[in-house]
Amino acid sequence: MSNASELFPQRRATRLPGGYMGQLLRVDLTTGSMRDENLPEEPLLKKFIGGQSLASYILLRELPLDAKPYGPENKVVMMTGPITGTGFTPGGTKVTAVYLSPLTNHTLGRGAASGFWAVYLKAAGYDGIIIEGAAQKPTYLFINEGRAELRDASRVWGKGATETEDLLRQEVGLKDAKVMCIGPAGENLVHAAMLCNDYNHNAAHSGGAVFGSKKLKAIVVHGTARPPLYDRERLIEAGLRWRNTLMVRHEAEKRTAGHAVDLGAAPNFNFRSTVIEESHIEGFDKNRVTLRPCFQCQRLCPWDVELKAGKHSGTVGHFNAGSEWLDTFYNLGVRGNDALYLAQRINDLGIECSHFSCGVGVAFEAWEKGLLDAEKTGGLKFEWGNVEVVDRLLDMAARREGYWGNLLAEGPVEVAAAIGGDAPKWVVHTKKGTPALHDWRPHFGQMIREIVASGGMKPQGGGSVNPPPDLKYREKWGPLDRDDPAGWSWSNALSEQYRQFCGVIGGCWFAQMHMKPDGIKSIVDSFNATTGWSFDIDQALEAGHRSAMLQSIFGTQRGWIAEHDWQDVGPRFLEPLPDGKHKGFTIAKWLPDMVYEYHRLMGRHEKTGRPFMDTLSRLGLEEFKEWAQLD
Amino acid sequence: MSEKYGSLIPTGKLLDGKPRTILFDATKCIGCRQCVHACKDWNDHPRTTIYELSSTNWITMEPPVLEGLSPLWARNSCMHCEYPMCAAVCPVEAITKYEEGPVVINQDVCIGCEYCIYACPWGVISKNDITHKATKCTMCSDRLSDNKQPFCVQACPVEALDFGLQEEMTAKAKKRAEEVNGYLYGDKEASGTQLIYVLKEKKESYGLRSVGPEKYPKHRIPLGLMLKDLFTLRCGLPGKLRALYLAIIHPGRLIYRYWPWRSVA
Repeated sequence: MSNASELFPQRRATRLPGGYMGQLLRVDLTTGSMRDENLPEEPLLKKFIGGQSLASYILLRELPLDAKPYGPENKVVMMTGPITGTGFTPGGTKVTAVYLSPLTNHTLGRGAASGFWAVYLKAAGYDGIIIEGAAQKPTYLFINEGRAELRDASRVWGKGATETEDLLRQEVGLKDAKVMCIGPAGENLVHAAMLCNDYNHNAAHSGGAVFGSKKLKAIVVHGTARPPLYDRERLIEAGLRWRNTLMVRHEAEKRTAGHAVDLGAAPNFNFRSTVIEESHIEGFDKNRVTLRPCFQCQRLCPWDVELKAGKHSGTVGHFNAGSEWLDTFYNLGVRGNDALYLAQRINDLGIECSHFSCGVGVAFEAWEKGLLDAEKTGGLKFEWGNVEVVDRLLDMAARREGYWGNLLAEGPVEVAAAIGGDAPKWVVHTKKGTPALHDWRPHFGQMIREIVASGGMKPQGGGSVNPPPDLKYREKWGPLDRDDPAGWSWSNALSEQYRQFCGVIGGCWFAQMHMKPDGIKSIVDSFNATTGWSFDIDQALEAGHRSAMLQSIFGTQRGWIAEHDWQDVGPRFLEPLPDGKHKGFTIAKWLPDMVYEYHRLMGRHEKTGRPFMDTLSRLGLEEFKEWAQLD
Repeated sequence: MSEKYGSLIPTGKLLDGKPRTILFDATKCIGCRQCVHACKDWNDHPRTTIYELSSTNWITMEPPVLEGLSPLWARNSCMHCEYPMCAAVCPVEAITKYEEGPVVINQDVCIGCEYCIYACPWGVISKNDITHKATKCTMCSDRLSDNKQPFCVQACPVEALDFGLQEEMTAKAKKRAEEVNGYLYGDKEASGTQLIYVLKEKKESYGLRSVGPEKYPKHRIPLGLMLKDLFTLRCGLPGKLRALYLAIIHPGRLIYRYWPWRSVA
């Protein structure tokens, strides 16, 4: 491993670009020591920028190859980006955490969150945090105005995310303080535990479990600083252009079955039916809904709800953009407001919803098919739509209670293996991680994205039928045929690059409207006005590509090969669709060719997944040449 | 303007002299506080705190709760009165009423006497601990002179804030209030302000202050404070000399400061 101090100069010799606070906080939980690190010099910053890219680069430089996910040697690197928290653009809200994933044990884990926390981390004076070691007892980190301290978290250990937030805000005595924490799931090393912040925002994909292994309950941030800006006037102008591209969400959307409607399929009964019925949204029309946007973003994704119908009437829920937590419970046969009630529960416990749903889905199917009975389930009836049982299983999973709690905390693959028989054929997973819980199966772009992701993280990409208008100067293709795989691998690879760029600069890809004219250009211009650099769109895509490449290099170093992408996939995920308007469709017919093509197009060897030397040279990543494909 | 105010308060013109109004439609507000942060962003104020009015936080959304489930949201900030008592009581004439609407405290002239803070019927003026000057919302007068709308209005993601010529905004607010069977606020208070609210319930439900219809609402500047200013060096000698000079050339203003209970205007 290289010396970390080479990366973080004691005294900067180059300009600090606009948008950055200039410092990272390094926290060693084992010793309790903390120190400020200057951000890398400008050439390196310009290459890696921030977010997933800079965080992964730091992790690649510092994490030992033999590190274990729950060992004190694992590190969590959390990074914002230069446009985070300027206030003048939509989507300037992102923080990304990277670490060795406990879901796969060998790929990059990554969780990203929006809301307010990242903005307030910068207000506290830091662009990011490097967390090392492990505390002896429950601890939380409090950063206020550039001063950091570790505090005892025993009072909030065991508490849900919402209550933890409230209690810690109270404890530090600052109403404006923002809290990122773990629920009981993280404490108990549920592999897919999340980081939870600002009530309704979650960085999923096991960052919570790594926090738990370090006995780190929360990070509370507060401060008054704002990032310096290179050209404020130009940023305001570019930010307005960006805002004008936004497809603004409305309250009415929050009364639908969410993204399942856009995809034309909801997962039902462990992905065995895709039909959306009236019962899916029962009670939604009666609920009191308030949009609750992230910091200065006019996309209006998050929302608060008070249930006004059903058994759990009166429950208050906080939700964000996706709606995968609805599909999570649709997949278990739960409908309407009961699904919203359980969604609030799972977020509060801090379990990644798809991981839970894919595990319980297999168990419920096994019950239906007679592989399980009450004797094996401890008397619980594993029936579709049994809200009380799902509710109970949530608690058991989050606390690893009993046989089923432990099994569900491990993951769907382990659940299926334990049940035996044909159960392993019924699992949905990708490299033991789980896809964000929607039924992506009818869509080439979305499926190739899910399959090639590291498994320990939410992938980025998904492609589009036509190239984004801002890329038409270089992309001469489309429209793609949704029943023909031709072109989809590249469409996905390209979208991975521009979405990665958006995250790397500290922006939220939910606010990136690539299909609108100016949807990408306005973001690049906002970034340039903030930092003082002059990226063109090609350079922006290259920065996204570089980030994706660091992600795969991390896996390569630890045993991932590209063949895992299509070989280590839950069979149910590749089955032909059982019904609905896309009945019979499956991407499986086109595997592994689409995976091979994707990796080739990204500049990797199709089977090993190693980057070619010329790819590394083009991206300025020659220092990783020992991991290159040489033939 | 001069007929309207005489020598009572300083007046000025930023653009075309046509009065503007901010419309706050409480029936659309979701309490997201993007207006609050936008105000901070435009004025380069510290990121926190956002729940209390202060010299670096010129707008609050009430109630001060984190969640989005309050059924009612109210804006609390300078109302930009048509007949601003803050300006009338200022001993150094640091507060200007612009023809386009904004009531602005000139930071170079303010001596920090705090009279305006007590005079304001809405309690929205604060003293900066570092500069010792009174501060409040400027209606983004710096943007207005470039013919741009206030930054809070521009930021609002749900069109709960609007900005335009006074007659247009007033007509719009009245129409909207009729549509929702609601109420107006700010149109009659203090004989009119350059903020107009559309409320779905009565103002008391929002915790909004009751301010009478008279111009230059009566104030309660503590007698002790005024005596201290008359007989000590508080606020500095240059400030005192300026106040004395202005008292001599504009003696009619003194009524507003020292005898607010008398019928004036």
